[in-house]
Amino acid sequence: MGDSAPRMITVEESPTTKKDRRVSYAFLMPTVILILILSIFPLLFSLALSFASWDLSRLEGGVRFIGLQNFATLISDTRFWDTAKNTVYFVGGAVALQYLLGFCLAMLLNQEIRFRRFFRVVFLMPMMLTPAAVGYLGRMLFNESMGPINDIIKHLGLPIVPWLSNSKMAMPTLILLDTWEWVPFMTIVLLAGLQSLPPEVFESATVDGASDWQKLRYITFPMLVPVSITVILIRALEAFKLFDIVVVMTGGGPGTATETVTMYAYTVGMRSGNLGYSSAIAYSLLVMVILFATIFLNSLRGRAAAAEG
Amino acid sequence: MQLTMRQTKKAKSFITHFLLGLWALVCLAPIYWVLITSFKLPIAVFQGPKYFPWIDFKPTLDAWNFLLIGPTSAAVYRSWANSAILATTSAAIAVIIGGMAGYALTRFRFYWPGLKWKNTNISFFIISQRMLPAVVIILPFMIMYRIFGLIDTHLGMILAYTVFNLPFAVWILRDFFAGLPVDLEESALIDGANRFQAFRMIVLPLAAPGLIATFLFCLVFTWNDYLFALMLTFSKASTLPMFIAGEGTQSYGPQWWYLSALSLLSIAPMILISLLVERYIRRGLVVGAIK
Repeated sequence: MGDSAPRMITVEESPTTKKDRRVSYAFLMPTVILILILSIFPLLFSLALSFASWDLSRLEGGVRFIGLQNFATLISDTRFWDTAKNTVYFVGGAVALQYLLGFCLAMLLNQEIRFRRFFRVVFLMPMMLTPAAVGYLGRMLFNESMGPINDIIKHLGLPIVPWLSNSKMAMPTLILLDTWEWVPFMTIVLLAGLQSLPPEVFESATVDGASDWQKLRYITFPMLVPVSITVILIRALEAFKLFDIVVVMTGGGPGTATETVTMYAYTVGMRSGNLGYSSAIAYSLLVMVILFATIFLNSLRGRAAAAEG
Repeated sequence: MQLTMRQTKKAKSFITHFLLGLWALVCLAPIYWVLITSFKLPIAVFQGPKYFPWIDFKPTLDAWNFLLIGPTSAAVYRSWANSAILATTSAAIAVIIGGMAGYALTRFRFYWPGLKWKNTNISFFIISQRMLPAVVIILPFMIMYRIFGLIDTHLGMILAYTVFNLPFAVWILRDFFAGLPVDLEESALIDGANRFQAFRMIVLPLAAPGLIATFLFCLVFTWNDYLFALMLTFSKASTLPMFIAGEGTQSYGPQWWYLSALSLLSIAPMILISLLVERYIRRGLVVGAIK
């Protein structure tokens, strides 16, 4: 996210500047006002709710403020901690796998290849598809007796896998499905990153006799670190929100093996009607997300500084 | 020596194409599977996997008939139409309003003394809303919508989706406008056009590719959303993902042939859009992340 300040100067200095002040707010404010009303206000409302007890079935019955009681309940709620663990497991597994595959595919695409346009369109497709339909797709493909994946495994003479019925396998299966859908995002952005690298560096490395592996290890990968940070961060923040694919594919099961924090907040809020506690759960997800982003960015910055210093 | 080098190059190219082909297969096979399943009879599903129509199963239009003219067809058409209306309208509004904000953030210098915010802070404030887990704001949304009678209405959903799409639209279009030359606008302003005229007649046409790409992405995000629809609608404004998820979690077990056809109704327009959007992607989606 670069600052585009230098380009503004010419317009700033043009004779219409004074009138521009009013005009500039006419351009900006619709967005800011909408976000204040429909994003910031709900955010604060939700924070207030997390300190309250309010029942969905008796909205008129009023709110009762109960201080930190919701958060006290949260700390001893094993189901919440399980969903938090599931979410972190999912984020870690899915993002790592997607980055790895996305990087390999971007490297492959960044060569002289035939049918370039075909590959690019096809590789893009999964991320455009409706997650609710993708969840259902996963349920069908990974079905243990009628699905094609186990059938192919059987034909290869391998033991069939309890993809969805085994509580240890359900999460890896979910990660595989999410990876199918979201590798395209990683591939596209990393490919653009690869294409923006200056070719001279590689030419001089070739002249100096560097092997392909050395080029990858000492030039390509370090130069892609900024883009990599961005894609990993964006994907991870999205993955923390995981909801639709799981709801359809496993419904959180078997048991609660694949239940995510978002699902739990939804269940508590809408099924049990406990709006206050649901908000507390949702807010804890927000805290997790912010913590993750901060730690991730700081540790990388620290490492980058250490490498330079 | 010369020959072996050419040979290794050839071998490398072969491996590259083989791996790319393999991944293309991974991408396409699931879509193929939904497609053929939608033409299967229940028996062809329950007997175990069948892969090729006419060879190992007899294709039928039963599922499609049921979907398009059966007892639930009215609900199917309604959710499809709702999805289409909500997605196109909110994407268009998000692109217009977000485009204006993105333009303002690249052409004017803002300073909010109370917060000590400049353009970058304002941009970050807007864009960071995108990263907010929707579940944090969804309950207040639901309560507010109940109070104001917006629940299960098109207006309410268009508002919700516009705000949902705005941060992305601002993010992409800001970078897009930053890349456009300012000379043309300047000469229009000197010739007496006001800022809105310059924006409409000069900037927007120049930015058409970026606007189209952003519109298509917002369209996809809205079309694919499930959480907002689940919380804020139940029948009148209910969307296609709602319908799919509802059918897929029925207690009698999923009717795979029917659900496949239903999924295709949702997936097919997105496949068409990915054909359209591919050419814009480097200018649209990617600019933001690269910078």
